[in-house]
Amino acid sequence: MLTSPLFSSAPEQRRRRVQLVVAAQVLFVLLVAVAGYAVSHYGRTVALRTSPIDPRDLLRGDYVSLNYDISQVPRRLWRGEDEPRRRRPVYVQLQPTAAGYYTAVAVYPAAPATLPADHVVLRGWVGNVWRQGLQLRYGLERYYVPENTGLGLQRQPLLVRVSIAPWGQSRITGIEKLPAVGPK
Amino acid sequence: MSQHFLDTEGPGWVERGIISPEQLQQLRALYPEQPRAIGLLPILGSVLVGLSALSVVAANWQGLPEILRLGLLIGALVGAYAGSEYFLARGHRGLGVGLASLGLLLFGASIVLTSQLYQLVGYDVTGLLAWVVAGVALTYVYQSRTLLLLTVFIGAMAQGYSVGSLSTYSYATALLTAGGLGYYWWRRPDGFCGAVLATGLLWQSALLIEHLHVKITWFFVPAMLVYAVGDWQPDRPAARSWQAPPLAAAFLFMLGLAMFGEAGSYTDRLRPQLVGFLGALLLVLLISVAGKRARGRLGSTADWLLLLPGYYFPGGLPLAVAALVVLYAYSGSVLYRGFREQAPERVNLGTVLFVLTTMVAYFKLTWDFLNKSLFFLLGGLLLLGLSWYLRRQARTLPTTDQPPTPQP
Repeated sequence: MLTSPLFSSAPEQRRRRVQLVVAAQVLFVLLVAVAGYAVSHYGRTVALRTSPIDPRDLLRGDYVSLNYDISQVPRRLWRGEDEPRRRRPVYVQLQPTAAGYYTAVAVYPAAPATLPADHVVLRGWVGNVWRQGLQLRYGLERYYVPENTGLGLQRQPLLVRVSIAPWGQSRITGIEKLPAVGPK
Repeated sequence: MSQHFLDTEGPGWVERGIISPEQLQQLRALYPEQPRAIGLLPILGSVLVGLSALSVVAANWQGLPEILRLGLLIGALVGAYAGSEYFLARGHRGLGVGLASLGLLLFGASIVLTSQLYQLVGYDVTGLLAWVVAGVALTYVYQSRTLLLLTVFIGAMAQGYSVGSLSTYSYATALLTAGGLGYYWWRRPDGFCGAVLATGLLWQSALLIEHLHVKITWFFVPAMLVYAVGDWQPDRPAARSWQAPPLAAAFLFMLGLAMFGEAGSYTDRLRPQLVGFLGALLLVLLISVAGKRARGRLGSTADWLLLLPGYYFPGGLPLAVAALVVLYAYSGSVLYRGFREQAPERVNLGTVLFVLTTMVAYFKLTWDFLNKSLFFLLGGLLLLGLSWYLRRQARTLPTTDQPPTPQP
């Protein structure tokens, strides 16, 4: 019954297959690394402002929690026909401001077809919905730092540089402190 | 039988005249000395050294240069597989497969840690999918149950993450689990792996139902498809373990219906569109019955009693009673089959199900009419009487040592 080559147990054949499978795994891990470089190389970089959150919560182990200005958007930016629902993916249209960082101007349930040239789209998910606004999650809320060095990032607004690749992946490429400023 | 056992016990047997010295020699020849197990101390030593290396790396992880971190991950990955080959070549299969499993775990860790290294965000489940693919491939390459079980868990996790965090259903993960691992089990049937894999498939089905936002009763279409596959499996004991999870799910669902169906407030949510749902369920029933016919197990068609769609009844007492009737019919059929096939473990199972159903029925039907002390008294007497009766029935069975007579 067990004649299928899939179930062959010849040691020679097994060794060759192991080599193949392991090589494929190494290649995949390297591809992930390459994707990291490719995103910053081919992606468009946008700067996003964060606001400080409760400092006791800010640093958990070896990453800094980031609370972007675009993490909470007013409800009027929603461009879907149906009501926004929790955990649904969304596409957030970002527009550069004179101050150098990007702000959200619209939130779509599907990728928007046309955009002004200087606008970019960042993907995210609806975290929470309330009457006045939407809580959004981008997967960029953690910035990994060497342990115990994140303390310097507490208590002030930050400017986070995010590269968004045309194929959809994104990554944080840089983080810098902003001078504490009053409300806009 | 170990050589050591023969060494210590053998002379005694010869002395008592149970076997002759020649026969003892023959026995020794029959059980040649196994290749020496590797000493425990070197393994423990290596584990400790490995752990210390791991903690040094973990403590300084974020401080290490990127390229070194990547090198460490890949080095550990390749090292685990190389170690596995080393031990497999020397006949230590357990250790070899263990190291290959470690390699698979390290592959997943490498994907996650490398993404973290570059602060990379993906919007799909590609990384985890690659992990599942690797698990399926390794299951075939090493022909290992351990790797199969590990891959079932990896697939379950990948799908959970996909549906829970990314709001997408990874059909590829579900297909790999069903097709890749399922085909392996089909060709190498095994009871425990069957039960775990079937549970994994139920999990994939449940997440699909959750993702599609359809009535939860749709769950039983894929679940019973899993069951129907078991009907076609020629290895009967393995097929039974494979079919246990879907049956348990159906039984528990029916039990829940008997207990809470009376409320009626949510029975609406249980009623899918009639024609489409029943059509799909009937189709699965046909596949299942055809399999039972082909393998000569038509007796187990009674399992399908649990799938009677009682939730189309109006809510309230009729629904609860209908569910109870189905549960009684099912446990009765298990008992009947147990007695007829003289299979004690099936009689025991039937007894447990019967008692469980009786408890629910009793609780359901009398709670409103009796005061509590009488409730417990009557309930206790009912259970005692039932267990006495069933035990008397069971005593007429042969003991477990005898192989059950094959069904005609």
